[in-house]
Parts: sequence; C-alpha cells; structure tokens
Amino acid sequence: MLEAINLTKRFHQGDIDVTAVERFSHRFKAGITAIVGPSGSGKTTLLNLLAGFDTPTEGEVRVQDGGKEVVLSRLDEGSRAGLRLRLMGFVFQQWNLIPTLTALENVAFPMLLAGHKRKERQERAAFLLAQVGLEKRLKHLPHRLSGGEQQRVAIARALALDPPILFADEPTGNLDSASGERVMELIYSQARKGRTIIVVTHNLELARQADRILRVRDGRLLEEVVQ
Amino acid sequence: MEVLALVYRNLRVRPVRSLLTLLGIVVATASMVLFMSFGEGLRRALGSELASVGPALLILPEGVEAFSAGYPELPPAVVQKLEAIANEVGITKIIPVTVFVRGGFDPTSSFAFQGLPKGVSPKDIYPNLKVAEGVLLPGARGAVVGGTIAQRNNLSLGKTLRLSPQVSLEVVGVLERTGGLADSVVYVPIEAVRTVLGTPNYTSILLSIRDDRRAEAVAKAIEAQIPGIDAQTSGDVLRFAERAVRISDLVRFGISLVALTVGGLLVANTVMMSVYERIREFGLMRAIGARRRFIFGLVLLEALLLGLGGGLLGLVLGQLASFAVNWYTVREVGLALSAVTPRLALFALLVALALGLLAGALPARTASRISVVEALGRI
Repeated sequence: MLEAINLTKRFHQGDIDVTAVERFSHRFKAGITAIVGPSGSGKTTLLNLLAGFDTPTEGEVRVQDGGKEVVLSRLDEGSRAGLRLRLMGFVFQQWNLIPTLTALENVAFPMLLAGHKRKERQERAAFLLAQVGLEKRLKHLPHRLSGGEQQRVAIARALALDPPILFADEPTGNLDSASGERVMELIYSQARKGRTIIVVTHNLELARQADRILRVRDGRLLEEVVQ
Repeated sequence: MEVLALVYRNLRVRPVRSLLTLLGIVVATASMVLFMSFGEGLRRALGSELASVGPALLILPEGVEAFSAGYPELPPAVVQKLEAIANEVGITKIIPVTVFVRGGFDPTSSFAFQGLPKGVSPKDIYPNLKVAEGVLLPGARGAVVGGTIAQRNNLSLGKTLRLSPQVSLEVVGVLERTGGLADSVVYVPIEAVRTVLGTPNYTSILLSIRDDRRAEAVAKAIEAQIPGIDAQTSGDVLRFAERAVRISDLVRFGISLVALTVGGLLVANTVMMSVYERIREFGLMRAIGARRRFIFGLVLLEALLLGLGGGLLGLVLGQLASFAVNWYTVREVGLALSAVTPRLALFALLVALALGLLAGALPARTASRISVVEALGRI
C-alpha cells in the first residue's frame, strides 16, 4: 500500500549537513504501524516524506493508487496534493482544524476540495461526526470545543473521503489520558476496516497497542517489532 | 459555500481592521465617482444646452473654439457677406451677438452679458425661454435677466445694472428659470456691449436655416464662400466638447488614481497581514490536499470581496456627494454639473474590483507558495 525505499533526507543548516532520515526502507501494510523514537530522531521528517509534504534527497516513496503503483516522491506538488486528498487522512498533534469553520464544515472540507456536492458533503460530515460522538457539536467553531473534541473532529475529517491510509502525528500529545484513550480508540478502530494507519509518537504506551512498531533513531530504522 | 464562509468569517475575525480597509476603498471609490461625475454631468448639460438652442449654425472666427468667450473678432462685414449669400445657401435668420463676461472668483459676482441686435429677443436664441416679469425685448436701454441670475443677485424690474462707468441699463424683464445656462445670462442691447468693449465686432453669429437644408451642407457652403470663419453645427460643437471633456476625464481619473492607489495598498496590506497570520491554516489545507490554486483563489476572493464591498459603498457615497454638488451648482449657476450615470457606476465597480484583484494578487501568490513542511513546522 505504502512503501519507503532507501529514503534519505539531508538538510543544510549553515555550513553543516544534517541527515534527518537515512536509508529508511519499509513496506507499510494494512493495520497499525507505530513509528517511535526520541525527539529529534527524524520521525516527523519521515512522516513529511511518506505523506509527500516534502521530497527525499535520495530514495523514493511508492503508493498504491487504484490498480497502479505511483512513485509519490517523483510527482509535482499539485499531483502530490491530489494524491494526498484521495489516499490519505491526517490527524496532527494540534492546530488540526480551520478556526473559522464549524466542526461540520471542517469535516466537509476535504469533500469540498474533491468536488462533492453540498448535500452529500453535509450528510457525510454529520454522519462522521456522529460516529466520533459529536453529533451535538456540528455547528461549533473549534475554539468552543475541548482539545479531545477537536481531535475527534480531525479524525472525522481524516475519514471524510474514506482514504486507505491514515497518518496520526502525536495525536494525543496535548490531551489528558481519558481523552487520549478515546482518540486512540477511534483511530485504532479504523485498522479493523483494512486501513493502513501510521502513528508517529514517542508515547510507548500508545505504541504497544499497534500491530508493528518501528523504532527510529538518528533518522535510521533501528528495529521492527511485530506484536 | 464553505469557501465563501471561510472568506467572509476571516474578514469578520478582525472587524476593525477589515472595516478600516473597507473605508479606505469606500473613500477612494467615492472620490473617483465624484471626480468622474463632473465629466458625465458636463456631457449631459451640454447636450441639453445645445438642444435648447434654436439656430442651427454658429459662426466663429477661424480657429476660435465654441466655448471661449474671447474678444469679439468677427467684423460687421461678415454679416453683410452672410446676408448676400443667405438666399443661395438657405439662411433664414442671422443673429450676430457680442458677449461680455465680467468675471469673479465667486460665481455670485460673475456676469455674462449677451448683446442682442435690435428686435432680437432671447427667445430667438433659446425658444424655451419664458418671461416671468416685464418684457422679453431689452430695447435700447434695458436688460432682460435670466431666472437664476435674477434670483441670485436679487435683480427685479426697475433695478439698474452698471456695465461700465459710461453704460448703465435698467432691468425691463425677468425670465423664468428653465434649468440651463440661459438662466445665468443677462440679455442686453448689442450697442451697450459694443460701447463697453470699444469694438464694432461680434463674438459669434447664430444662423437659422431652411428646414429642407442640412446644417452640415450649409456650413460647408458658407465656409467655402467666406474665408476666415468657422461655421459649426451643434454636432461640431458637441464633438469639440466631447474631446475637451475626455481630456479632462483623463486628468480627473489621474487625480483619483492617487486615492485608488492608497486604497489598493490598504487592501494589499490587510490581506498580506492576514496571510502571514494564517500560514498554519494554509499549511493545514495544503496537507489535507488543497492545491496551490485553491489557496490562491481563496486569498484573492478575500481581496475581491473587500474591493466589491468598498466599491458598492463608495458608489453610494459618491452618488450622495454628487447630489450635494448638484444642489449647490443648480442653486448657483442653474446647471447640474455632476451626474453618476450607469456607465460611470459600472466603471467605478470594475475599477474597485480591479483594485481588489491587483491588491490581492501578491498576497495570494505568497499564500499559495507556502511550503507545507514550513507551515506545519509551526504547529
């Protein structure tokens, strides 16, 4: 579904070359894969490459788009954005929602980008918000929602176009434990629907519930643990 | 829907800033509408003025323009020559006039005296004129005053008008107001003006022609037979006026451009600030799958909305200012000098939209080029 082959990313910081990700290869399968590692280990850079936010210095990212395999990292920006819209959903640690749109409009946003009709957008967004237990918060703007509720709206939005791949970058980082558990339950429940879920976290407790754990340090894949 | 909601709510997030920007465009558009409305008003006034003139042709010295009340240059011999060819070319009436303007910076102290030959009344030139009091013919020592000038300067029957230390006339007639320039003229015997100016020459000669003759053809025939003069039809006068008004349109638009530029910079500043404040939001949209052109359109729409809103309100304000100007000029000179015509309104709206488009282009480009990684790095 999603494959990283020999991914390497180098940055120039002044006169110094920094290698954030080095020769990372992995084939992501359906189910939950947790990428764990301490701060500065290259987890976020890796996510940026896998999602096509950034392009690798070397190596490539391949993704299954319908029947054919596409080299994501070789596409131009516009095509990568189009592919992300169709194939990927995202839940970030914070700042997940557009502050001037209601919960319903935020969830409907990817469908707007994909050109779906208004009625269809609204119905599906309301359905997804009900799925994450926010049927009474449809018209609320993000600042009127708690952190946990905001993350649940973000999960609903990530599922709006029913993407096969779901990225979650420290999704519970800013939440209390009860809200965090609820959010992870929702994310992990998606694995049962055959999605490929990639969770980037430094929370080992969260990672233990994943099907596979990829341990990363200094941009390199140290080990893969299948649970 | 979400897109418009996004744009509208974003403008409402900082209402004071948006309102001040809007005000900038309102003032810029209103000032442009008012400036340009003078040209439209002038066109309209000239059209109705010319329509109210009876004689079909105007004879002027060669090279003199229709609207310059210069020193009288047409010698009496021209009248004799015109009389000689009158039958041949189809002239039915010849009215030589001499104009004397005593000007001041204040319109209330400016007077235009039109000297008419014996037996010619103002009605022969402006058929719509009606007498309100007294008589229509100035006679040998009398003056007939237009409605506006009579009211403004409190000129009633029996009052004395002093043209020069040697020449004084008595008001013998007051005309009704008709809403044109003719209301602001004092009609006097031509001899009085000749004495004041010290010349037997005429300023212009008005000619009526036979109904079966075309004015253009008669004008050509006269010019061919009498050298040193221009014979102008109302069409010629309008064309000349249009050229002059168009040049002044450009000058007035040039002046309005200053205000428009300031308005445009205000919009650009507001939208650019908004873009910088929303980098994370745009980054998030791009991460979800929004293409660059979506972000570009979103930001541009914000600027366009400001331009359109400001343009519409500016149009209303400009129209109000135009009413105020007309209220003053109608009272003072009997002419509505300002007119907000549909084409001016459309032009103003298009300029306001173009302003939004130009002002929004750079911020929109900046927003659409934000790197996802950089924007998400701020999360």
